[in-house]
Amino acid sequence: MDVKNFARKYSSVNLLALLARLILGGALLYAGALKALHPYQAAAAVRAYEILPVALANPLGYTLPWIEIGVGIILVLGLYVRIGAILGSAMMLIFIGGVSSAWARGLSIDCGCFGGGGAVDPSKTAYVSEILRDVLFLLCGAFLVWRPGSRWSLDAMGSGRITEDLYEDEFDVDEMEG
Amino acid sequence: MSEESKESRSQARLAAAAERKALAETAAKKARRNRLLVSLAVIAPILLVVIVGVSISLVKSKVDSTVTAPTIASKSDGYGLVFNPSAKPQIDVWEDFQCPACKNFEDVNGATVHALAQNGKARVVFHSLSFLGAESVILANAGACAAEEGKFLEFHDYLYKNQKPENSAYWGLSQVTAAGVAVGLPEKTYKSCLKTGKYAKWVENISAAGAKANINQTPTVLINGKEIDRNAGIYLDPKLFNKALADAGVK
Repeated sequence: MDVKNFARKYSSVNLLALLARLILGGALLYAGALKALHPYQAAAAVRAYEILPVALANPLGYTLPWIEIGVGIILVLGLYVRIGAILGSAMMLIFIGGVSSAWARGLSIDCGCFGGGGAVDPSKTAYVSEILRDVLFLLCGAFLVWRPGSRWSLDAMGSGRITEDLYEDEFDVDEMEG
Repeated sequence: MSEESKESRSQARLAAAAERKALAETAAKKARRNRLLVSLAVIAPILLVVIVGVSISLVKSKVDSTVTAPTIASKSDGYGLVFNPSAKPQIDVWEDFQCPACKNFEDVNGATVHALAQNGKARVVFHSLSFLGAESVILANAGACAAEEGKFLEFHDYLYKNQKPENSAYWGLSQVTAAGVAVGLPEKTYKSCLKTGKYAKWVENISAAGAKANINQTPTVLINGKEIDRNAGIYLDPKLFNKALADAGVK
C-alpha cells in the first residue's frame, strides 16, 4: 500500500464518516429493535403526540421500528450510505419537529424514541435532551449526506474506491454515490 | 532521429494510452459489477427483514374476531370483560396488572369500582392491557382464566395487593397458580388455562382495541366514554372520583 492510499484510507474524513455511520446507524438499529419488540407501546407513543389521527398514527407506530432497523443496518454496514443518511436525517428532522411540537403545545409526553413513550408526569418530560440527542444524530446524517465515503463500508468494498490501490485517481472519494 | 520513428513512437504512446484506458474501463466495469452484486446480496435480506417485520406487525395489530375469549368479554367493547351488561352508566378501566400507577388508582378507588361491578349500579368494563411486557401478558391471560371461573374481581384485587416490580421474573407459572388458588380458583383447570396460554390471543386483541380507542397510558378510566380528567387529579382523589360517578348518574 502506498503512502497516498494509506493516507486516504485513514483520513480524518473517512474516520469521521465511519463514526457518524456507527452513531446514527447504531442508534436507529437499537431504537428500532426496542420498539419492534413492543409494537402496541410504539403505536401508543406515536398517538401520544396528538399530531396524526389515530387511524394513521397506529400503522406508523407499528411500521416505523422496522424502517428504523432497515436504515440502521444500511448505515452500519455502509451500503448506499448517502441514501441511508438522507433517510436517517429525514427521520431525525421529523422526530425533532414532533418533539418540539409536543413541547410547544404543552403536552407532557416521553418521546418514545427508545421504546416507552406516552404521557408522563410534567416533571418527567425531557424535551431539551431529546431534541439535543436527535440534533446530534441529525448532524451525523448531514455529514454523511455530504461525505458518505468511509472506512469499512460495503460501498467502499464494492467499488474499490477507497480500498483498491489501482486506478485510484479514477475514483475520487468526493464523487462517491454521485 | 527520423521523422518516421518519431511518428511511430508517438503512435506507440497513443496505443499504450488507449490500452491503459481500456484496462481502466474494464476494471471500472468489474468494480461496478462487484458493487451491484454486493449491494443486491446485502440489500435483499435487509429489505426482507423490513417487509416481513412491517407485515407481521400490521397483521398482529388487527383485532382478530376468531380468538378464544372469556364468556363475559364483549366484542363491541373491544373484548373487555363486562360486568352488568345492561346497567348504566358505563365505566371503562384500561389497566395493566404490572403498572404502579394502576395500583395507585386501585388503592384509592379500586373498592368503589369493585362494588359497582358487584352491586350492578354501573356497567363496568375491564380492559387488561399488556404494554409493560411478558409478565403483563401472563397476568392478563390469567385474569381471563379467572373470569371464566367467575373470580375475575377477586383475582384482580389480589394482583394489585401483591404487585411486584415490573418484569422482575416473579410471575412465573407457580406464582400465578398460587395467586389463583389463593382466590379460590380450581387448581387443575386454572393451571391448564395458564399453561396453554388459552387467552393469549384475546390479550393481543385488547391491545389492538386499545390502540384503536386511542388509549395511550394506564390506567385510563372513562365514564360514559369520556376519560376522567387526569389533570384535575380525579384518579387519586376518592371524593372527586365519587363526584364524577354521581354526576354520571351512579346512585
